[in-house]
Amino acid sequence: MAEIRIPDDLWDTAEVPEGVVANWFFADRGQVPKGATVAEITVEKTSFDIVSPESGRLRIVVPKDGIVLPGTLIGQIEDG
Amino acid sequence: MASDRVLTVSRAMAEAIGQEMRTDPNVFVMGEDIGAYGGIFGATQGLLEEFGEERVRDTPISETAFIGAGVGAAMSGMRPIVELMFVDFFGVCMDAIYNMAAKNIYFSGGHFKVPLVIMTATGGGYCDAGQHSQTLHATFAHMPGLKVVAPSNAYDAKGLMISAIRDDSPVLYMFHKGLQGLVWMASPEGAATGVPEESYTVPFGEAKVVRPGNDVTIVTLSMMVHRALEAAETLAGEGIDAEVIDLRTLVPLDREKVLRSVAKTGRLVVVDEDYQSFGVTAEIIASVAETDPAMLKAAPRRVAYPDIPIPYSRPMEQFALPNAKKIADAVRQTLDLKKAA
Repeated sequence: MAEIRIPDDLWDTAEVPEGVVANWFFADRGQVPKGATVAEITVEKTSFDIVSPESGRLRIVVPKDGIVLPGTLIGQIEDG
Repeated sequence: MASDRVLTVSRAMAEAIGQEMRTDPNVFVMGEDIGAYGGIFGATQGLLEEFGEERVRDTPISETAFIGAGVGAAMSGMRPIVELMFVDFFGVCMDAIYNMAAKNIYFSGGHFKVPLVIMTATGGGYCDAGQHSQTLHATFAHMPGLKVVAPSNAYDAKGLMISAIRDDSPVLYMFHKGLQGLVWMASPEGAATGVPEESYTVPFGEAKVVRPGNDVTIVTLSMMVHRALEAAETLAGEGIDAEVIDLRTLVPLDREKVLRSVAKTGRLVVVDEDYQSFGVTAEIIASVAETDPAMLKAAPRRVAYPDIPIPYSRPMEQFALPNAKKIADAVRQTLDLKKAA
């Protein structure tokens, strides 16, 4: 089991208060390889790719269009 | 390990271009904001970092110059991909497209190839007014010498892009902004799809039956495939079984698949986001009428953009755009049924 979190220093919330999950690139419960780009976060007009820390089965916590902050848990990688 | 990856159309396009650039050093990209910004519709995202400024070239705002340069580079042995940011901007570079790209293979007696891809954003629905919202499929499909493709989903977007880059003729690759999967423009379910990581092609001239049915044939492409599928769902609830055909490429055009379907259903509705008159809708209907008008059990119908400049105002634009309700109403007309209330 591994967590997929928005990095704490991805952007400065004093300048831009929140970001959005623009896309998930794997379906919920889908098999994800380690290092694959799993999600895209948009902060104002800037996009950031989020990669999977492990191989396994994706469980989406924050769906597409959900609001996120630095440090937010957006998904989990489960064994198997 | 098997992957369940789902890509947006913009990512699928960028992946296709990147894979071709890795295997063929003659492939390069030019256009406005296609470098550091990754293309305003995301089609070149990540390419500058991997391939550098020689092969991913931001250009000044002169379509006349860089589309013309693309034609010259293609005739000199390169395989350029040039982005015309909005198809609406074709006016200032039409000589390069219509008189150079489209004709130079013929004018040279076949001594020169023109392996140029012009990728360009089409479509409206997001209040960007009359010079940023057009589709203009017919403007390019009309001109002999150009191939024209318009994918409706990510799988086709990648395969058609690889086919376009490998083709020795100029290809207009027309992608709809609303299918790209951008955060600031909602895209329909079904635009993002599973996309194999390996390189593959989708051949030109092969339409796809995206929903089989027996009562009526709906022929369409690009964004309107999704509107037609939505209409088909509604009609299924009324016991009407619609077949939906995604043309995928306009030139070459898969008339055979359309004819086979209409021979089966006897009814035809053609849907296009481009202007109605002198366009794709008329061409499809003419193809059926020229072959055997007796195939048709009812007058064919078309659902397209009215022959007006595209309004800026949201209610006015939404009123004018083709949508699922208009498509379903057109189908009911072919079945001699009343419009839904």
